[in-house]
Amino acid sequence: MIIEDVLCPFCGCLCDDIKVEVEENQIVGVKRACRLGSSKIRGHERIKAPMIRVDGKLVETTYEDAYEKAARILLNAKRPLLYGWCSTVCEAQKKGVLLAEELGAIIDSTATVCHGPSIIGIEEKGLAGSTLGQIKNRADLIVFWGSNPGEAHPRHAQRYSSNSQGKYTPEGRKGRKVIVVDVRKTRTAKNADKFIQIRPGTDYEIISALRMIVAGKGDTLPEHIAGVSKADLEEVAEMMKSARFGSFLFGLGLTHTRGRYKNIDNALSLVAALNSHTKFVVMAMRGHYNVTGFGQVCAWETGFPMSVDFSRGMPYFNPGETAACDVLGRRETDAMLVIAGDPASNFPKTVVEGMADIPVIQIDPFENPTTYLSDVVIPSAVAGVEVEGTAYRMDGLSLRMKKLVDSEYPSDEEILANILECVRRLRDDN
Amino acid sequence: MREIVITPLKTFSIPIEAEKICPNIVSSLALKEIEGIEVWEGNRKMPLSDLFRISGDEGSTSPEDTLISLKGDFSRVKRLGEKMSAGEVVVKGNAGMHAGNSMTGGEMTIKGDAADWLGREMRGGLITVKGNAANYVGSGYRGESCGMRGGEIAIEGSAGDYLAEHMCGGKIAVEGDVGDFPGASNRGGTIHIGGNAYLPGAEMASGTIIVKGRARVLPSYQLEGTVGLEGMTLKKFLGDLVDNGKGNLYATSVE
Amino acid sequence: MIIKGGTVYDPTNGIFGEEMDISIENGKVVEKAKTGDVIDAKGLLVMPGGVDAHAHIAGAKVNTGRIMRPEDGRRGLEPKTKLLRPSTGYTVPNCYAMGYRYARLGYTTTFEAATPIIESRHTHEELEEIPIIDKGALTLFGNNWEVLECARDGDIDKLAAYISWGLRASRGYGVKVVNPGGGEAWGFGGNVTGLDDPVPDFDVTPREIIRSLMKANEMLRLPHSVHLHTNNLGKPGNYATTLETLKAVEDIASSMDRQVLHITHMQFSAYGGTGWRDFESKAPEIADYFNKHDQFTMDMGQLIFGSATTMTADAPLEYANARLLHAKWSNHDIELEESSGVVPLSYGRKMPINAIQWAIGLELALLTESPWKILMTTDHPNGGPFVNYPEVMTLLMSKPKRDEEIATLHSLVPKRSTLATLDRELDWGEIAIMTRAAPAKILGLKDKGHLGIGADADVTIYNLNPEKIDPSKDYKKVKEAFSLAKYNVKGGEVVVKDGEIVSLPQGRTYWVDATVPEEHALRVEADLVDKFTKYYSIQKSNYMVQDAYVTNPMVVKAGVI
Repeated sequence: MIIEDVLCPFCGCLCDDIKVEVEENQIVGVKRACRLGSSKIRGHERIKAPMIRVDGKLVETTYEDAYEKAARILLNAKRPLLYGWCSTVCEAQKKGVLLAEELGAIIDSTATVCHGPSIIGIEEKGLAGSTLGQIKNRADLIVFWGSNPGEAHPRHAQRYSSNSQGKYTPEGRKGRKVIVVDVRKTRTAKNADKFIQIRPGTDYEIISALRMIVAGKGDTLPEHIAGVSKADLEEVAEMMKSARFGSFLFGLGLTHTRGRYKNIDNALSLVAALNSHTKFVVMAMRGHYNVTGFGQVCAWETGFPMSVDFSRGMPYFNPGETAACDVLGRRETDAMLVIAGDPASNFPKTVVEGMADIPVIQIDPFENPTTYLSDVVIPSAVAGVEVEGTAYRMDGLSLRMKKLVDSEYPSDEEILANILECVRRLRDDN
Repeated sequence: MREIVITPLKTFSIPIEAEKICPNIVSSLALKEIEGIEVWEGNRKMPLSDLFRISGDEGSTSPEDTLISLKGDFSRVKRLGEKMSAGEVVVKGNAGMHAGNSMTGGEMTIKGDAADWLGREMRGGLITVKGNAANYVGSGYRGESCGMRGGEIAIEGSAGDYLAEHMCGGKIAVEGDVGDFPGASNRGGTIHIGGNAYLPGAEMASGTIIVKGRARVLPSYQLEGTVGLEGMTLKKFLGDLVDNGKGNLYATSVE
Repeated sequence: MIIKGGTVYDPTNGIFGEEMDISIENGKVVEKAKTGDVIDAKGLLVMPGGVDAHAHIAGAKVNTGRIMRPEDGRRGLEPKTKLLRPSTGYTVPNCYAMGYRYARLGYTTTFEAATPIIESRHTHEELEEIPIIDKGALTLFGNNWEVLECARDGDIDKLAAYISWGLRASRGYGVKVVNPGGGEAWGFGGNVTGLDDPVPDFDVTPREIIRSLMKANEMLRLPHSVHLHTNNLGKPGNYATTLETLKAVEDIASSMDRQVLHITHMQFSAYGGTGWRDFESKAPEIADYFNKHDQFTMDMGQLIFGSATTMTADAPLEYANARLLHAKWSNHDIELEESSGVVPLSYGRKMPINAIQWAIGLELALLTESPWKILMTTDHPNGGPFVNYPEVMTLLMSKPKRDEEIATLHSLVPKRSTLATLDRELDWGEIAIMTRAAPAKILGLKDKGHLGIGADADVTIYNLNPEKIDPSKDYKKVKEAFSLAKYNVKGGEVVVKDGEIVSLPQGRTYWVDATVPEEHALRVEADLVDKFTKYYSIQKSNYMVQDAYVTNPMVVKAGVI
């Protein structure tokens, strides 16, 4: 049986044209997905059963035991952290926010190590954006800054950006120009019309210089800015101003270098300024397929998109104080729940070391380095393959993930609901 | 001066929120009442006396005549002196995040180091730090257009990143170095840096930043000349020109 | 349940301050209830539950407002309680605060003003999380490529079929039109300058778009009329466009017992002058037109001083706002369909333009003779947050209050608007019309906004005696009473008692299922297949809002006869 128009549960592209062949409740074929998505859909070795760490070793147990143990750990904690959320559906994320509220916990998503700085930049300047289809149909200029979709978002170029075709862009790649700005010549850069290599940590100054040139004040600039020639920047500025519809797509190269959210802040202002010359939009190239969804759910439920601290009974948002890396890095959290994320792989080393000293509960279909730090492991069904639900694409468009096969595993949403029930029961008992 | 002495009973790892340790709140309370003030350790609410020993003078006073002496390590105790309008708070040790935030008057002295967001959204009064301060000294809350509007912060050591972001008024002096982006998006106020700074005054609209050490200056700042200031020769810049800013930046040397 | 002895205002049924009982059974108003609780409402004001016909309460724009304004989120903080989840936000409250605050005001139904079809899943996800109130959403149709093409071709049959499909795809209730044509022009940074300025690449004018949509709307016999945000909104001198728009459609007849066109937040479209220097009110001209024509309705769009977050599908307007005010600017253009912008700002009493804008909203209401023609709104949160509705209500009811306010404003107000000269004070009945009876009628919600037999049992009891209180003098008391309902009964269940939320039923989501002849539905289908193949960035089969997102629907049937 072929299931059509399946959504891929991997990256922020949220491609929804995947064809999956299912035989006897097994996935036997995946078409159109890139190899990252295909691999995710096909799946791999699963965690077999819930486990609890006893005398240093993970020992199999029942779901009921695991829920109980998890609830106790979280209730006993004075500053529990609920982290991850990016690779599961909104229905589970909603339960997570509710759990954090009732525990007086901190909830944060993987944006903390990804586009968190972008969110902070947006809080300074706003975001002049669009859906991906606008870029496909209208953009004759694409700027990739600190973003390498060639490797991180393989089908982006074809579906939405450089190589896409639309109403006003029938020529596809031939009808548009691509500019890449990065610290090294990436795969994406190899296909650019103009590549500017910059020194790491100099993005802010170069964006300021571009803003000056766009505003017609280039004369006051020196011949070289942070090692980049003014002539190169003037060429880029001219390409941007003379585009009919320009788009500025940025990634971790910009969010994770010196300057962090200031870089994004500056880029957002550059795009806003370009709008007085021509049409220009900006897009954050979100990594995981539903990190955007968490930001949306958290915002409409708590007023803030991430790093929310419920310790005092109401949401408090202050990244730098309430983000996952902050509290773990300062060793000020005393319990952690990790769901649909892998901090042990993605966090800075000192932060991961913080995880080793506290009880960790993991909810995930698959084993990963976080499993080795966990005290309670609860295997879940794979959202988007075994569980249906809502996800938000990098441009904020929401779509419904399909269920392709049945599974014995409970969904993330069910697991969280069960933990919450245990928490409520234990709290009432006291 | 009525002195109230507060000492931690243990070393804190979970942060404490103690915004009620403030002259305006304690000045009229008896020591026993002060012991009952609510304080938070993570998500647990408890009376002050669960975490601190309270001693000192009895007798109700006005806030102006109240001195709160905090003896010990308060590096994990947040929001000390929040909104204070008068009186004195002295931390004989390190102070936690948001110390002196929103204050409108009075004096806070931190003998050790201060954590992030010292004097956030301050409007008046004086904060002195003998040691170092961390990030976001005298800055605003996320999304707000104004941070510090008035008052004075004096730091004898160094400070971290984003010093005085969104400053609209007041004065900050740091004797040592500061980190990245001091005085970002400023619309007023004066910043005095004794040491080095990285990309000061990003998107500054107005205000003054003086860097006595070395500054990495943005390409969007225009060199206007040199001036003599406080016995030194400083380069004078106008910026941030990305948005027609009319702020004044002074630096001795430029990276 | 019986609400006993209240002083009832039920204008739809001709009741203006009668002492009577309201009997409720199974969530409906009945002749006489057999059993049940008794609420003693003696000496208290009783009205149907409030109906808000235009507010931005759910969806992508609202959430963008939240995300870009943590400084708003930290206002209006209320901690969680045993029953309630935490509340945050002032101009962009979180979903729970939306429901709680509307309920405390005595409102029971609110409609989201604008949802783009492709992003309606998001709108419904948020609507589902707003507790208590009944709700619906108006679907945007003014800039969709299919609409522009049908209007260009004069193909009303196909347009009606597209609207039918679009309402089903978005689970929407009605046809919303914002700056028709301008949203598409904004796709390349442009706009339209008036009714006859053709949309680039589509060879169709705003006039043609509006007329076609209205004809299709009437052909479909939709419960609500086309709901229009005019071209040139916010520009000095735009009252001319507004009058021109109305005149352009005078010949179109309504197919239902209601207006043929509703113009929203009229304050923003009632401007005179040629620029900001000579900016002035043209409310008298607009009100005069409405006084002479019965087939049109409007809502105020009143300004509230202080913080506001403007959010609208009029994206070029938002860009202009942001540049003028040097403010944060979010923009979101939506492929093949719409565009939108969000800009936080603050309205100041001493800012001449804001002061005049404030006066215009009130002028419009006071100069329009029939309160059935003008609804009380603030275009939340564009003019100001809905929690300020009691402020607007008391300004309408009290000349002394208005005079007191005008004294604090910029001195230009009396020169640029007639407000200071208007003595009219609306009475309880007129307020009940503007906030209950009329919005329900205008939206075509036959069981809302009144307390006749068969109506939904949505009843508000306010803590004041309308016979004893003079709203002209005691406006402070009136505002206080309107701010916290003594009782809010929703669908026969007490949800608010003495200003406290006591119950959290889930409201229903109204949407319209309109049928069209298959022949035209198939033609639309063919166009859609073409557009999804070539232009959309998603698959057609993934486009429509699924049942899972509307768990408590109230489907209203309509369609071509």
